Amino acid sequence: MKLGMLAKGAALAAVASVALSACTAETGIVENSSLTVAWNQPLFSFNANTSSGNATANAVILYMTQDWFNYYDDQQNLLKNEKFGKYELVSQDPLVVKYTLNKDITWSDGVKVDDADLLLHWGALSGNLNDPDADPQYDEETGVIIPSDAVYFDSVAIGGGIEQITQQPETGDDFRSVTLKYDQVLVDWELIFSGNMMPAHVVGTLALGIDDPQKAKDAVVAAITDKDQVALVKIANVWNTSFDLTAMPEDPSLVIGTGAYAVTDFVQDEYITLKARGAEYKAGPQPKVESITVRWIPDALASVQALANGEVSITLPQATSDVLAAAQALDGVTVVNQPGATYEHIDLVFNKEGGAFNPATYGGDEDTAKVVRQAFLTAINVNEVLDKLIKPLQPNAAWDQSQVFLPGAPGYDEAVAGNGSEVYGQGDAAAAKEMLESVDITEPIDVCFLFSSTNTRRANEYQLYAEQIAPAGFNLVDCSDPGWGALLGSGTYDASLFGWQSTSTAVTASDATFRSTGGNNFTGYANPEVDALYDQLKVEFDPAKQKSILGQIDKLLWDDAYGMTVFQFPEIMVHDAALTNVSSSPLSPNFFWNFWEWEAPSAKASA
Amino acid sequence: MVPFILRRLVTILGVLIAASYLFYILAANAGDPLEDLRASSQRNREQLIENRTAQLDLNVAPPIRYFYWAGGVSKCFVGKCDLGEDWVSGQQVTSMIPHAMQSTIKLVLIALVLAIVIGVSIGVISALRQYSGFDYGVTLAAFFMFSLPSFWVAVLLKQWGAIGFNDFLAEPHFPILALALIGAALGVVGGSAAGGAWKRRLSAGGLVGAGAAVLLYSLDKGGWFLDPRLGPVVIGVLGAGIAVLVTFLATGLSNKRALYSALTVAAAATIAWFPLQQAFRFSAGAAVIGTGLGFVVLAGVIGRLFGGPDWRISVRTSALTGGLAYLLIFLDFAMSWWQRYADSGAINGRPIATVGSVTPQLADSGFWVGTVDTYTHMVLPVTALVLISLASYTRYARASLLEVMNLDYIRTARAKGLPERAVITRHAFRNALIPLATIIPLDLAGLFGGAVITETVFGWNGMGRLFIEALRHVSVNVLMGYFLVTALLLLIGNIVADVLYAVLDPRIRVDA
Repeated sequence: MKLGMLAKGAALAAVASVALSACTAETGIVENSSLTVAWNQPLFSFNANTSSGNATANAVILYMTQDWFNYYDDQQNLLKNEKFGKYELVSQDPLVVKYTLNKDITWSDGVKVDDADLLLHWGALSGNLNDPDADPQYDEETGVIIPSDAVYFDSVAIGGGIEQITQQPETGDDFRSVTLKYDQVLVDWELIFSGNMMPAHVVGTLALGIDDPQKAKDAVVAAITDKDQVALVKIANVWNTSFDLTAMPEDPSLVIGTGAYAVTDFVQDEYITLKARGAEYKAGPQPKVESITVRWIPDALASVQALANGEVSITLPQATSDVLAAAQALDGVTVVNQPGATYEHIDLVFNKEGGAFNPATYGGDEDTAKVVRQAFLTAINVNEVLDKLIKPLQPNAAWDQSQVFLPGAPGYDEAVAGNGSEVYGQGDAAAAKEMLESVDITEPIDVCFLFSSTNTRRANEYQLYAEQIAPAGFNLVDCSDPGWGALLGSGTYDASLFGWQSTSTAVTASDATFRSTGGNNFTGYANPEVDALYDQLKVEFDPAKQKSILGQIDKLLWDDAYGMTVFQFPEIMVHDAALTNVSSSPLSPNFFWNFWEWEAPSAKASA
Repeated sequence: MVPFILRRLVTILGVLIAASYLFYILAANAGDPLEDLRASSQRNREQLIENRTAQLDLNVAPPIRYFYWAGGVSKCFVGKCDLGEDWVSGQQVTSMIPHAMQSTIKLVLIALVLAIVIGVSIGVISALRQYSGFDYGVTLAAFFMFSLPSFWVAVLLKQWGAIGFNDFLAEPHFPILALALIGAALGVVGGSAAGGAWKRRLSAGGLVGAGAAVLLYSLDKGGWFLDPRLGPVVIGVLGAGIAVLVTFLATGLSNKRALYSALTVAAAATIAWFPLQQAFRFSAGAAVIGTGLGFVVLAGVIGRLFGGPDWRISVRTSALTGGLAYLLIFLDFAMSWWQRYADSGAINGRPIATVGSVTPQLADSGFWVGTVDTYTHMVLPVTALVLISLASYTRYARASLLEVMNLDYIRTARAKGLPERAVITRHAFRNALIPLATIIPLDLAGLFGGAVITETVFGWNGMGRLFIEALRHVSVNVLMGYFLVTALLLLIGNIVADVLYAVLDPRIRVDA
């Protein structure tokens, strides 16, 4: 019965789109077409660049209302949005990048997008306008950032490379371009200047009380150029907090954007409705669906049942076997199982005092420690873990075999072919035992295994690993802790199990993890060769060479038996089969990545 | 009494401070607010961790951090409550709680009222038919529903009540077998509730069962499920039925003045149906409620006009009848929007919703569509809550009425020749309600805490969901705000219950 209804809907859509194609040929937007999708957490800020606003819940909506120079497709390729503007690498060393906006790009209130917006974006994101003495004061009782007397943009991007643009960018090309000069060479330059840009004229109006958009823009530019502390304090305070909204504001200028859709309705904790801007929108591909509503449904099973009842058309519920079973039982829906951007991995710790994998335990004998690590990884059986815990959720799940590339990302296949990972993880306890005997270890080795005690899947993994490696002569000790995160890097455990979440394809992202002095190096791993390769990588602009360097690093990590990558978290996306061109991407903004290609059945005129 | 209340209020303050301290420690240790950052591979991860640690004062131990929070709360005494901010969304807790409470009240209050009315009615009937098949059946059913896990009930209700029912509406036809089964089931219930001799039971059961089956069949054939209406005739018949029932329960059918005044009101409602069709079309919210109050007053006046020595009884009976009859007219008019609602593009023939409290596309479609939309969203969560809380009221009412019925003064009332109806409604039932009156304030206070599971499963943004989301993100300020409000209401509910008991039952004195 459900299928019949959907089939009818699809037929209707086809007829309607043919009938309407004549009058909507200009934009391609199907009149009266609407689509409702589910997401698990409500939008709470239209500025996702602040440390509190930086959340996927905001990013997925802003992706549809705000455009940028580039975006990720579902294969983790970074694509350029030439309709918004272009950017070019002017020089590698010193690093200079020029961003130029196209003509006729407007905010949804009709005001032109220009260099003032780009300049404010740099000023706010880089933190270089911040008063160096400004000590961000969070109210002790409330945790709210106190509107301070010193300039402080609460930017989430500081530390990501953008702080290296210390000089004010030059503007030009009829107020359409900015040229960014970095103090340091950064090969991930395409990813650094990003985020959702805030409208300078709105910020100017709110902060400085100037109603005319052009004058407001000019005032913002002047404040940045002249380092006018009084004005900048006001601008920073508006930028930090004014766009934190949980319902439609009285002032509609707070929700304007450069993107294909404009916000028309926003009800707290319930939904947000976006409407296509139509012919006035030129900054990107024109969407086909006229109106998109995002409903917030936190409960996974509830969103699947809402899909079954026709209340939503796409959902990405948290993957559990119940949810998968419920979704698969439905007619007329498509279930997409695929790996997500978070990958589970085991790290072995090199610097625990008296630890099983620490050379010092064996009298400083590096080789013995390495054999012990190799034996550990040889005894583990990743296939069993995949079969028992992951394949029930994602039948096509595969072992993630690279420490530096996410499966499916450009470069993964080449790296895996040569990194030597295939000798590990096959559960060969006998071989592991022989390896231990070859270095005269016959007594069982205690391995203190840190993981989150509140995570059921990891507790199950621990059980499997403990059984797998016991015959080889390892005694996997349960060192789980609810506060596992705070213990990372403390050197109080031998091995840890947790997930790294990839948020971009930045080639230097793994630097902090594997470099001997890296900020995310919790294991005490130090290999001068790896450090040297990262030094090379930092100044290598050729993508092919970048991949080759990362491939070499990957091989060194496996050779050193650094640890084991296991699997990517499975994701389940379910959508109405009548919808076409929907696909899921592991990186944010997930299935929204190609919203302009979605084709929804056209709805009947509403009552 | 006043010293008692004052003393209790002081105790409340002490309890609240001690409990909030304990709760703060528990909440702060409920998880790690930095967890998402720890697994993040962002290049400025360290910086982000540092920022959030500073923002949430995570380097201050919870037993001391509590006083930061308590400092903000103490500003409540000067009228500037500061419960802090939710770090996840940056919203003030003082603005989150009223929003959540509003939707919780909407949902849970209706469920509570329905549970009390239905539960007490069933409890009274089963007490009067003690150890009968009905009594056992109700007890079994009540405990069965009481013991069901609410997430399971909620999911099943959605599967059958929403997805299944909406599928049914695509082709709304009952097979004969289904009609026979429904009729038989209702017949058994009706027959056993009637009680008495087998002949009486069989005739009552047969009447109910056959009536229900015939009714469903004719509604089905007439396409009623797609375009439901009551119409003036049905309203007239139902109104008369209400008039008789209300009179029977309130005064007994022997009070002819009351009976006739109630019947007149029912007739007036039938006539009022015609002008109200036009009036409703152009009115919304307040006007509809105002008209209803006006109609109740009019009904009261009709009762007064019938006069007699005990005119007050007639006024009460007619006013109650008038109110219920007006509800029927309201329902009828809301029904007239049903087909338009169900066929609209946003609903697409699937009116019963499984999630949320509103259909986004119909948000600005006016009062009547909004009313229908609210009902289609509320029917399932309210049903889930009623099913689960029904049992306790049924049991309380039954036990309490049974206890009262065995007291001496009931025997005295019977001995002096009062009719059984008067003994039960006037002497037994009222006193049986005293224990219930002391439970309800506590339940009422408890319901502001929300129904965590029901709200989560039905996507209802109430207090329960506020709590569960805050717990998931370890947003201590929100958890504490939730705790403060629910704990305070519960403690006050406790006092109210004590005071109410003393007021209702002269044997109890609180200032002893």
